[in-house]
Amino acid sequence: MPFVQKYVPKSIKEILSQEDAINAFLKWISKWKPGGKALLFHGPPGVGKTALIHAWTNEKNLEFIELNASDWRSASQIQEVLGQSMKQMPLFKKSKIFLVDEIDGIAGREDLGGVGAIIKIIKETRFPVVLIANKPYDPRLRSLRQYCQLLEFNKIPVFDIEKKLNEICTKEKIKIDKEVLRMLAKRSRGDLRSAMHDLETLSQGKKEIKLENLEVLGFREREGNIFETIRNIFKTNNALAARLAINNSDKDPDEIFWWIENNIANEFEDPEEIAKAFDALSMADIFKKRISSNQNYSLKAYMIDLMTAGVTTSKKNVYRKFTRYQYPSNIILLGRTKEARGELKESLAMMTQVLHCSSKKIKSEFLPYFKIISKNRNFKKYLQQEFSMELSR
Amino acid sequence: MDNLIWAEKYRPLKLNEVINQSHVTERIKAFVKEKNVPHLFFAGSAGTGKTTMALALAHELYGKNWHQNVLSLNASDERGIDIIRGKVKDFARTKPLGDVNFRIVLLDEADALTQEAQQALRRTMESFTSVSRFILIGNFSSKIIEPIQSRCVVFRFKTLNETDIKKFIARIVDGEKLKITDEAIDAIIYLSEGDLRKVANLLQASAVLSEKISEDVVYDVASQAKPDDVKNMLEAALKGKFEEARKMLQNMLLRQGLAGSDVIREIHRQIYSLDLSEEEKVQLIEKTGEYEFRLSEGSSDLIQLEALLAQFLLVKKK
Repeated sequence: MPFVQKYVPKSIKEILSQEDAINAFLKWISKWKPGGKALLFHGPPGVGKTALIHAWTNEKNLEFIELNASDWRSASQIQEVLGQSMKQMPLFKKSKIFLVDEIDGIAGREDLGGVGAIIKIIKETRFPVVLIANKPYDPRLRSLRQYCQLLEFNKIPVFDIEKKLNEICTKEKIKIDKEVLRMLAKRSRGDLRSAMHDLETLSQGKKEIKLENLEVLGFREREGNIFETIRNIFKTNNALAARLAINNSDKDPDEIFWWIENNIANEFEDPEEIAKAFDALSMADIFKKRISSNQNYSLKAYMIDLMTAGVTTSKKNVYRKFTRYQYPSNIILLGRTKEARGELKESLAMMTQVLHCSSKKIKSEFLPYFKIISKNRNFKKYLQQEFSMELSR
Repeated sequence: MDNLIWAEKYRPLKLNEVINQSHVTERIKAFVKEKNVPHLFFAGSAGTGKTTMALALAHELYGKNWHQNVLSLNASDERGIDIIRGKVKDFARTKPLGDVNFRIVLLDEADALTQEAQQALRRTMESFTSVSRFILIGNFSSKIIEPIQSRCVVFRFKTLNETDIKKFIARIVDGEKLKITDEAIDAIIYLSEGDLRKVANLLQASAVLSEKISEDVVYDVASQAKPDDVKNMLEAALKGKFEEARKMLQNMLLRQGLAGSDVIREIHRQIYSLDLSEEEKVQLIEKTGEYEFRLSEGSSDLIQLEALLAQFLLVKKK
């Protein structure tokens, strides 16, 4: 069973971070009487619009009749599906609720009359109707909107998505790098469903997901956005154009910084240009420090200027070649060596107690010699037993 | 298990055994005798016995149970204000065990403390003087703020000379029953740059490699312990192989976890031995200085060092 089905919320409590929408929905449904307005859910995909109705009907044991764009073509088809059911009480359950999903889909010539049929249902039904749209302000839905109360759903905060994914991983016994979780969550742009799909794709046939897997699994394609951004920065000699390229990306400037860093030498061929570009990045990095140490966020603009415009104007001419831009290697390397670095850190912490100096000093003053001294078996064993330290050359 | 690390095994426990800091030892001994120690600040270069002196002091003052009365922290690992407000304060305000009426907080590598932490420390030092004394240890006194220095008796540790180092070598040689040539001893003295920690490490590694320690063995150890990573990286950059050099740099910083400041200092040292004109060397040294400065001002060691590497590309071009 796909994750999105397996982990579908079974009660309203399980719905992530839509308190406002949920409250508004509860208020609406408690007051609804025949002839009342329908409720039109809108908001980005994958934030829990349909899930809310599923959870509610499940929790209250209601019959639930769903219609979506693939079910209808015309007014008569809608009539056919819903037919009598909008007036009859359900046989086995207390009450029912209608859900018309993807109503943006009904607009268009082919479905002429579809909107009218829905309006008719809203007017005549004895049961509440909920509509779902991604873009409720579509002019073709104008007449429908008069019969609806609008309710907006927001993007799910990245943090909540990360938490949810982590929960799933625990239940599925999938070992996953924290960095991967964060990137999946970030990538989803508040769309929990797509994040769950991504997680599932990545975890297929694996019990452990590492940072490299993200790359291998064709994520590059979906990251079209960042490649586009990098291209826009490099393939211009116009300072402002390079600066603006970053606005079209929803990636954090700090992350784009490393994309630029990793691709300077791919793009530029003249050493002078490379040196100049890195000099600009070096200055951008100094601004980064000033921002963080003084909490002075107004300086961020200069950091971005230098890393985009500063870098791209380091070249004499725009390179008319295809450059294969690459994922930041330092981020990959950090992900790959994370575990080993963590272990070393623990060993060093134990050593500081015995050697009376900082872990930094142990690293530079002792470890190089320990590697040699470890040729002595006793010493090697001593390091392992006392500090659980494994030294490899 | 016994301590198998010589630098630690041969660290003296008695004040009298601390090598060549008699000007300090005499005063410290007087403090111990009176069982009255002021706040102290030990300054001096690496491996001259600062930490050893502080530990020996604690040992002679409290005897076997010194651990209970001494909080030993390394500011380079625990440098934030939270440590001062939390750990240090909690320890400093409780009464000591035994017949000495104060406890000791030992702050090693204190020059790594942040400014804020130092400000917090200043108050703590004052408030709990009745039950606690502080011993600060650092390389440079200039990095410790004035108000703290003025609360401490400052001792400057001398750089060790040849005779001092020979004395220490003799201790280890006797203790471990090593066979070593005079030339090897000279080599160790030369390589150690007056740092006894390095002396102990050089000796221990040499002893593993060969039963009889000769000059060659010592130099072999030194070169193995200091691999040519930095040199290879610079040479790659000079040959125009920027990507290769970059990979080496990332490996050093991200995989091995070396500090950017250590790498850049090594770069500085290596420049003299590169195959370049004298003028080019000086040019690169100037650049290195510039980027070392930026390193201290910037947020990422990697970026600053990469920018410096890119400067090496330019020299090759001409």
